[in-house]
Amino acid sequence: QRTNISIMHPLVRDLYKRVIWVGKDYPQGLDYVRDKWKKALRNPHNCPSCYNQHNGSVVPIVVDDDASYKIPTDCERELRKAVGKGRHMVREMEGIIQLKKYRTMNKRYGKKKR
Amino acid sequence: MKILVGVKRVVDYAVRVRVANNTIDLSNIKMSMNPFCEIAVEQAVRMKESKQASEVIAVTIGPSKGGTETLRTALAMGCDRAIHITTEQRTDFLEVQPRAVSKIFQSLVQEEDPSLVLLGKQGIDSDCGQVGPMLAGMLGWPQITFAASMEGDSDKLTLDRETDAGTETLEVQLPSVVTCDLRLNEPRYATLPNIMKAKKKKVDVRDISTFADLDLEPHLQVLEITEPPPRQAGVMVESVDELVDKLQNEAKVI
Repeated sequence: QRTNISIMHPLVRDLYKRVIWVGKDYPQGLDYVRDKWKKALRNPHNCPSCYNQHNGSVVPIVVDDDASYKIPTDCERELRKAVGKGRHMVREMEGIIQLKKYRTMNKRYGKKKR
Repeated sequence: MKILVGVKRVVDYAVRVRVANNTIDLSNIKMSMNPFCEIAVEQAVRMKESKQASEVIAVTIGPSKGGTETLRTALAMGCDRAIHITTEQRTDFLEVQPRAVSKIFQSLVQEEDPSLVLLGKQGIDSDCGQVGPMLAGMLGWPQITFAASMEGDSDKLTLDRETDAGTETLEVQLPSVVTCDLRLNEPRYATLPNIMKAKKKKVDVRDISTFADLDLEPHLQVLEITEPPPRQAGVMVESVDELVDKLQNEAKVI
């Protein structure tokens, strides 16, 4: 038997790939982005129904070995919402990259006040 | 209308270059699309989205591995197809120079027959700003440099040019060469899903030696490359009187 977090949901994998793609241009660097996102993706509070409360601690849900990929459906809904928030975050990161680029280019090549 | 967009692969704008042995060391340095070329690509793609243009072709001159990345970004932003002129020479000013680039572009324009050639104002590595005007001269086409806004149809364009003296509005008949300035538009970010879709788009790879009949030898030689002098340390003053004295006598500003 395996836990549901040891199997990566394809949407989460796709989200992480998007993050790494954007992270290479992020001002604070790819390492910073990777650390923050790995922490966020592993955080049980971002998708509580994928975990069980077990005497005060959170425990991942156990799934059958023979299922190639399967998590409980109520978990799936919340996971998709979390992935949606993650994609929104990626768009925010893209915005920050574009803003920083514009500001730097404007400073370097913008109109010089006479 | 067909648009040809020139795209340059340069050192990323955020990288601090280091000068070594009278040259800039490009190994393991982050390279990306020239920001002004991104603006040109964005403009071309917007014209395609508003049905003014029928096809957008991105062209780059660069190494076989790095150039494809730059072209893939251009295709992900919305270009239809791309032409990659492969060369292992340096495309910053040191080996492939604006004159050679203009000659190659002239040959491509005669082949592809576009109505509009969109280029970035200048490359952030060489800061020449020469390919636009040179290409226009070689083709005998009108040119608008430092375009800050663009409107028009398939016959003519109305553009605003940004100069140090102010903004001037010009109308130009197509075919024409336009170089794009910072305030023309905000280029979209090439997201991963778009990069994946762009892998299906056609990239025509040609070696620079196929243009050997054009005289591509550099006519300018770079004698020296140095870093700018380090900033002088500031002077601490003890009192307002001392400050006024220094401004009056040493800096001579009051």
